[in-house]
Amino acid sequence: MNMKNIPFPRCGLAALLFLAVQSPAWAHAFLDHAEPSVGGTVTNSPSEVKIWFTQKVEPAFSSIEVDNAQGKEVDKKDVHVDAKDKSLLEISLPQLPAGTYTVTWHVVSVDTHRTQGHFQFTVK
Amino acid sequence: MKKRKLSVIKNWRGRFAATGLVLAAVGLGTAPAHAHGFVGDRFFPPTIATDDPFATDELLLPSISYFKSPADDGPAVGTTDLGFEFDKEIFPKFALGISGDYLIQKPDGLPSAGGWDDFSLSAKYQLWENVPHEAIFSVGAEWDIGGSGNKNVGADPTSTFTPTIYFGKGFGDLPEALEYARPFALTGTLGEDLPTSAEPNNLNWGLALEYNLPYLQSEVKDIGLPAPFKNMIPLVEFAMSSPLDRDGGETTGTINPGVLYENNDFQIGAEAIIPVNHATGNEVGAVVQVQIYIDDIWPKIFGHPLIGK
Repeated sequence: MNMKNIPFPRCGLAALLFLAVQSPAWAHAFLDHAEPSVGGTVTNSPSEVKIWFTQKVEPAFSSIEVDNAQGKEVDKKDVHVDAKDKSLLEISLPQLPAGTYTVTWHVVSVDTHRTQGHFQFTVK
Repeated sequence: MKKRKLSVIKNWRGRFAATGLVLAAVGLGTAPAHAHGFVGDRFFPPTIATDDPFATDELLLPSISYFKSPADDGPAVGTTDLGFEFDKEIFPKFALGISGDYLIQKPDGLPSAGGWDDFSLSAKYQLWENVPHEAIFSVGAEWDIGGSGNKNVGADPTSTFTPTIYFGKGFGDLPEALEYARPFALTGTLGEDLPTSAEPNNLNWGLALEYNLPYLQSEVKDIGLPAPFKNMIPLVEFAMSSPLDRDGGETTGTINPGVLYENNDFQIGAEAIIPVNHATGNEVGAVVQVQIYIDDIWPKIFGHPLIGK
């Protein structure tokens, strides 16, 4: 392999950067923000948990679970992607007593990349 | 990271080589590449001066750095390093890579010269992961291909093999009382150069300590950071090389404080390069690096192993 006379590939670099810029924004879906907010405290029981992701997510492979401090699931198990905003995943909640709750999510973005996470919120 | 001996350099032409050696010793000679590395909830970003533990599809292009080697028995040499690295996951958790650096070297008071440093091939395997504790351990090796670069910039005519272990640990498992420490993560490498010539064996060790603001926002506490700060990861890296035998001299290395910015399709990072002693250098250098997330840009081609699932 004789690599001694290879010039620095400026053209290749420019082409790759151009392709990167021009390509569709398919990517891993990261949590952008949530309601109730990550680590936040609310004074009234929220009716649902909403999570906005940085990418559109696949409904069939995306989930949210909300557990109380004892680890018992308290959500209504009706997780769904918003009809108008495919990057918004939601799940309904019953009336929650005061306490700290853990939200665990798993999503698959539209290009099949998987991500997961969890956070807590507190009801006063 | 390539590390070679400084004391063999005897003349100004050799100083060109010396610059390459110092750059290699401080971890700039072969810039590491990385892509999306996850352990559970934790995303470990590609770091600049030290390699990460993930065996994934990665394209680093370009890495641009400047560092000035110390004047010893000749003029000090400033080197601009234009580097790339490409890695491909072949089997699940096993990747092969190739990297190269084009060096432009300018000795004080003398004309500049340019050429390729030796190219390198690498292999890495993710051996162990612990999702709840955001921990990972990998093994790998790098082969600096002797004679594949240009002699006028000090490319070594002989090969060096560097078996290396890699680790990563996120601190998301800390107790609630320490919640603001949970975004911290540490990655590190430990490897030994095994040169095929009479050069000394070196112990190469590196650490990267980062504070992941996206992790803070999405896992711990949404403190309302606006863009672009909510996509930033401040970090400090330590890239060191300690000769083990053959009168290899003192430990050299750098401390690199900097910041990474995450985008859907790429990461851009910048660091200062602060030499730890006079044997490494007398001036602060700098590096800017772009990591293209090819698994996100071309998901049908990249982001999965060639063989197996």
